[in-house]
Amino acid sequence: MRSKGLREKVGRVEENNDGYNKERGVIKRSHRKRTIVAAFIPLMVLAIMIFLLFSPTFQSFINSGISLPEVAIEKIEFRENPGQIIAFIRNVGPTEITIAQADVNDRIHAAAIEPSKTLSRLSDAKVIIPFFWNPAEPYEVGITTDDGTRFSKTIEAAALAPNPDSQQIIFFAVIGIYVGIIPVMIGLLWYPFIRSMSRNKYNFFLSLTAGLLVFLGIDALIESNEIATDNVSPIFNGQMLIVIVTTISFIALLYASEKLTQRAIKKSMSSAAAETTSTYTPYSNSTATNYPQTKSQVNQRQMQELVKPLAISLMIAIGIGLHNFGEGLAIGAAVLLGEIALSTFLIVGFTLHNTTEGLAIVAPLAKSRKLMLRRLIFMGVIAGAPTIAGAWIGGFLYSPIATIIFLSIGAGAIFQVVYSIGSWVLRSVDNNNNDKNKKIVTVNIFTIAGFAIGMIIMYVTGLLV
Amino acid sequence: MARAQDNTNSDFSKKNTVGGHTPGYSILETSGDVLDPISLNVTIKDAVVDPMKYLLEFNYGRVSELPNGTTLREFTLVASDDKVKEISPGVFYNVWMFNGTVPGPTIRATEGDLIRINFINNGSKSHTIHTHGIHKAEMDGVFETIGAGGRFTYEFTAEPFGVFPYHCHMQPLEEHITHGLYGVYIVDPKTPRPPADEMVMVMNGYDTDFDTENNFYTVNGIPYYYMHHPIQIEKDRLVRIYLVNMLEFDPINNFHLHANLYQLYRSGTSLVPHEYTDMVTMSQGERGILEFKYKFPGQYMFHAHKTEFAEKGWMGLFLVKDMTSSSGGQVYNSTPTANNMAATVYSQGQPLAQKRGGDI
Repeated sequence: MRSKGLREKVGRVEENNDGYNKERGVIKRSHRKRTIVAAFIPLMVLAIMIFLLFSPTFQSFINSGISLPEVAIEKIEFRENPGQIIAFIRNVGPTEITIAQADVNDRIHAAAIEPSKTLSRLSDAKVIIPFFWNPAEPYEVGITTDDGTRFSKTIEAAALAPNPDSQQIIFFAVIGIYVGIIPVMIGLLWYPFIRSMSRNKYNFFLSLTAGLLVFLGIDALIESNEIATDNVSPIFNGQMLIVIVTTISFIALLYASEKLTQRAIKKSMSSAAAETTSTYTPYSNSTATNYPQTKSQVNQRQMQELVKPLAISLMIAIGIGLHNFGEGLAIGAAVLLGEIALSTFLIVGFTLHNTTEGLAIVAPLAKSRKLMLRRLIFMGVIAGAPTIAGAWIGGFLYSPIATIIFLSIGAGAIFQVVYSIGSWVLRSVDNNNNDKNKKIVTVNIFTIAGFAIGMIIMYVTGLLV
Repeated sequence: MARAQDNTNSDFSKKNTVGGHTPGYSILETSGDVLDPISLNVTIKDAVVDPMKYLLEFNYGRVSELPNGTTLREFTLVASDDKVKEISPGVFYNVWMFNGTVPGPTIRATEGDLIRINFINNGSKSHTIHTHGIHKAEMDGVFETIGAGGRFTYEFTAEPFGVFPYHCHMQPLEEHITHGLYGVYIVDPKTPRPPADEMVMVMNGYDTDFDTENNFYTVNGIPYYYMHHPIQIEKDRLVRIYLVNMLEFDPINNFHLHANLYQLYRSGTSLVPHEYTDMVTMSQGERGILEFKYKFPGQYMFHAHKTEFAEKGWMGLFLVKDMTSSSGGQVYNSTPTANNMAATVYSQGQPLAQKRGGDI
């Protein structure tokens, strides 16, 4: 009815131009008003609904069920002098709870709970149990709520919690340097080798890099999933967090890397343009205008050739940096949780495993000229140094959620890099074939073999860890 | 107003201490709360039982004499199954009870007396009373189940002398027993046993998370109760314990006495002891009478030598006092590992005042 009336009105005013414009403005304004109202109506209904849901009548109606308590033991630490076991717990149930007692290996022990034994929903507390524990033995810590329900968590092997003193800080830093920076730097030494090879061999190494990275990305996802299932209470929905963070990280970094490349190209273009203008102004107008244009077109392609791999390498370095941060967190946390004993063998394993990461960074740069050593080292540091920070944070303030988030950001970054390398390799194959047959855009045996070998290398070196 | 708030704040900043009860452990200071059912003497507001009262309370019933000269003892037992009580500091559990406690009241008679139990089922489920001993089939509390709101009168002669459990015999049996429907029934021999400080102890457990494993083990209903409320006894005076094992799920339970041995009368059906020992192991429903004297004053532990049970609540202390010397008390304060404890103990140790002739 109403819309029909409006249409009639519009039809009528069409005859008069002035009137039509005026009328259209009125209609537009009333449209906007209606849009705003339409946007708010569902919100208002929702507000009323929520108000009613919290009303005493409805509360008594829905609260007929039994709400079971749920306590998550998020972290257990072992301390000495005096012997103590400290459990970090969180109320992840639907209602407020009171903790009644603590036990070690199902035997009741006196304990302190800070700040309070009453935990509101999602709040946490620290349970300190004086206990003479033995290193490397498994311990189960139990927490009993006021209704007699017991929640427990087992630590496979008790180990002294790292203390953030100077010795421990240096210890983790050294591990970080060994596991993060040194291997990446070693990998960078492949630069001259990769530089001097043919296009096919180069594509082989680019694909190898993609293979390495796919492995790392999937590894990060599996790792996050393990943490999500073992150390994060279901209420935080750890697995969904992995999916969300990975996706956002992928999309955001894709956008960022495109912008970065574009900006870099534009910058070099404008400087090149400035150069050409200054050079060619003395000549006649027609040639002066034509020549620089073609020159700048050539430059653009060259710039893309130069900037694109640099951007990819930088993105790889950032992605690997995030991955290594996650790796550092994992190492620090594993030491803290007593899940691994740090051995020379383990560090050697990580070193071998991570050397391939340096290769991944230099591979895209191989065909670009004028590469400064400084830049290369800078990228190595970007990729490697986060391991140190990760080990510190993981070792001193382990948080499963933070670990998941960092690992997932790393996974998203890595997949973004794989995407960039993939499109880069495909384009280069395309360019090669361009001269003979335009339609053949394909992966050849070099790229397939590279990709496969990349993943296999990671798998094999991963066995050492 | 502001002042009052300041006071509250200063209360909050008060440090609580944990530990000290375990030899070798240092005392931990905390700004938070203390979780310590072992040594912390907190008032349990809605306790399932008063273990000290239960320990010493023997109910002889409303006594009258039948025309044939037999003594009639009448008891009233009321079953309930809807109450949630504190079974350990801060732990609340739906207990099923006779006369509002777990364990239920101790019934005591002399061999040959006629016992009449007026049973009222105030619960929401069917319950019965099955008493061990010799009686007619229809007084066995097995097939005549008493529905919610129902009543029944059990009548039988107290025979033979000994110590027995009584408990609900509704199916599922394990559920009805583990929730708390049990108690002790004592039949004295016609010639009484020699005078002694007499006490009753029931070993039980609570499966508060329903996984068919006990979360708590106790003697007389509350874990660790006699650790912070030691049972005060006299040096060289005979102590007699009527001990019954009502533990469910775990096949055995036991009673170990420190620094002493006891005469054990299995089932209490003999006047001649079966064994002189410091360890008796009992299966479900097993019981006995334990007799001992302490030679030296001091603080002595008793507990299940199945140490798991001990470390989940089944442990307690006897405080042996030398009534002949006035300086006896000083000795315990010198205990180096448990200074705190000894001090607490001393102020809380309760002299035995046996309660006779309960009127249930």
